[in-house]
Amino acid sequence: MNLFGRRNVLLALFALAAIAPHFVNTYHLFVCNLILVYVLLSIGLNILVGYAGQLAFANAAMFGIGAYGTGLLQVHFGLPFWLAFPLGAVIATSVGLAISLPALRVSGLYLALSSLAFAQFTQWVFLHWEKVTFGAGGFKTPTVSFAPLPVSKPIGLYYLTLILAAVLFLLAQNLVRSRIGRAFVAVRDGEVAAESLGIDLLRYKALAFGLSGFYAGIAGGIYSAMLNFVSPEGYDLFQMVLQKAMVVVGGLGSVAGSVLGAGAIVALLEALREVKGIQEIAFGAILVVFILFMPGGLVGFLKRKVPGWEEPLHRKGAGSAPAPAAAPAPAAGEARP
Amino acid sequence: MVLQRSLKIGAAGLFMAAAAMQAAQAQAPGVTADTIKIGTFGALTGPGYLYGKLPMNGIDVVFDEINAQGGIHGRKLQLVREDDRCDPAAAIGAVKKLIHQDAVFAMIGGGCSNATFAARDTIDEAKIPLVVMASVHDGITTPTPPTIFSAATTSSIESQAQLEFAIAQGAKRIAVISMRDSWGRARYNPMIEAFKKKGIKPVADEELSPDANDATAQVLRLKMSNADAVLMVLYPKPAAVFVRDSQKLAFKPLFIGQTGIADPAAFEDQVASPGATANFRTISMVGMTPQDPAAEKWRKAIEAKFPGDRLSVYNLFGIGSAQVMAEALRRAGPEPTREKLVAALNGLKDFKVDVYPGPISCSETDHRCHKTPAWLAKEPGGPVKVLGATKVE
Repeated sequence: MNLFGRRNVLLALFALAAIAPHFVNTYHLFVCNLILVYVLLSIGLNILVGYAGQLAFANAAMFGIGAYGTGLLQVHFGLPFWLAFPLGAVIATSVGLAISLPALRVSGLYLALSSLAFAQFTQWVFLHWEKVTFGAGGFKTPTVSFAPLPVSKPIGLYYLTLILAAVLFLLAQNLVRSRIGRAFVAVRDGEVAAESLGIDLLRYKALAFGLSGFYAGIAGGIYSAMLNFVSPEGYDLFQMVLQKAMVVVGGLGSVAGSVLGAGAIVALLEALREVKGIQEIAFGAILVVFILFMPGGLVGFLKRKVPGWEEPLHRKGAGSAPAPAAAPAPAAGEARP
Repeated sequence: MVLQRSLKIGAAGLFMAAAAMQAAQAQAPGVTADTIKIGTFGALTGPGYLYGKLPMNGIDVVFDEINAQGGIHGRKLQLVREDDRCDPAAAIGAVKKLIHQDAVFAMIGGGCSNATFAARDTIDEAKIPLVVMASVHDGITTPTPPTIFSAATTSSIESQAQLEFAIAQGAKRIAVISMRDSWGRARYNPMIEAFKKKGIKPVADEELSPDANDATAQVLRLKMSNADAVLMVLYPKPAAVFVRDSQKLAFKPLFIGQTGIADPAAFEDQVASPGATANFRTISMVGMTPQDPAAEKWRKAIEAKFPGDRLSVYNLFGIGSAQVMAEALRRAGPEPTREKLVAALNGLKDFKVDVYPGPISCSETDHRCHKTPAWLAKEPGGPVKVLGATKVE
């Protein structure tokens, strides 16, 4: 096993994240929590864009739906956070599944445009459905309580995010190594070819959109609790650009890349606070550098330079599996990728 | 003998060092023997920089003036800037950085309303004094926060003043045209409340988007309503489109703006249609114009410190709020603590700031300290004039 391989580095990052609250100040804890929220968003978006190849621009809207869902369920119905939070994620997942339907008819730039239209529509709803969303002024959400646990809200929320990020990271990693992940890749590489292999496009596209919506919904719920405030500004086109940038910088089609991309971009944005007034220029320049010189993202670079960063689409030992002839026959109507 | 003497000197040195350290530890965060660190947050980039970067430049020149005179109780003022990009999450991050990383003593800041409103909980928890420089959201100061004081007129005060000004000018049929984004809503809703309180119904209530390029439909509907005054809750760009189209369609009511269009000279240039702004009046939280001879000192200071800049009303927002903070710091005494500073801010009564049209008065129950907006007008081709001020109760 390589000392600086993917597994060791990610474990070290997790260990560092687990002890971080003991040695960082409140501001740094906020930034660490923000990184974890974006890790969740990037993983979800990478499943949709990087693995399933769906050029969709609705993730910021999903993020907003998760945040609004969680916040509004608490404010309007008096639900506790612990109930509103999963329900918010369920709402975002349902919307994700619903918007997968147009994706069956359109692809590429047309999908990008239709999902962008959906994102704009969501913004319009946030702004104008005032009786429900409180309009452009936004609304405050109740403070999350971790009682009876003896932790403050920032620390409790940080560990909740860390646990969710770790669990959903493992889920995503296992998923992309399963037949589902291979089906996503087949759809990405050629829909006609994938269909000819018997892959059900409706099922796998819907699954990719649903998963992406679920991750965004979870991230949105935590984000609303973190800020104690929800308003339309946080879920606009810039948010979408930010998430896309994380996926590109980290590496398209890489779960580990999503972690690195989210960490790098959030840390960069915070570090650029020191470069007063030119953050946007510096941020744009760094993105251009990545697109021109590191198109595979950070993970692409690591795969070339450091052994142990490969991300196979099968589990370890799959190479020693029985010969195809001996494998059990697939269920009727389904072919395995 | 030499050893004994060395030991004595060493012990004395250690004692003095320990005493000095203890004294340093006793001081409030952000305060040293010769400096006081003040944080500020707002948009340094993007379109919101008018309400962020420019007021911050104003704060800087006030601090320079105070520092040149020896500081406050011998301490020089240092300004630490943070960019919030007008984004609520970025504002919370900026405020947390100022409080926990930069360890500032107090803050003067807040440009975009939603961003400042979102940061309110963080500021309340940290109990750090803030003087708001430009944000107008009522929720920032209502209900009364423990340590936040507004030197800016709030949205409900401005909206109320717009209506009172229209009535004072003899308008009988008053209409509204507004944007319905966060900035617009923060003003539009209290304005409608003010109408209700007066028992008046607007004769027309039109909406215009911030990026509108045409306002023909809105102008025609307002013209049909026969409005003699139009209260405008618009950014300069859509307002310019609206006023230009009004002139084109021969609609000439009294146009009443608010601090979003705080510079009538720049607005006249933006409208770029001779005579279109003849009936335009706008509200201002400052009682002088950049061309005013009374602003000469500040014009020179801004142009000297920021070559290429010309004094704008947005600089004056920062200058006024910095003067409020400086006065409170003086009153907090030579050993300032955050509690003493909050008490000093609470105790400001009828404090005259040269750039504001009326005095600043705060109390323990009301931290909306600026309630006297001024009215500006500019004859086409002439100078900007201050028409007077409206004291809102």
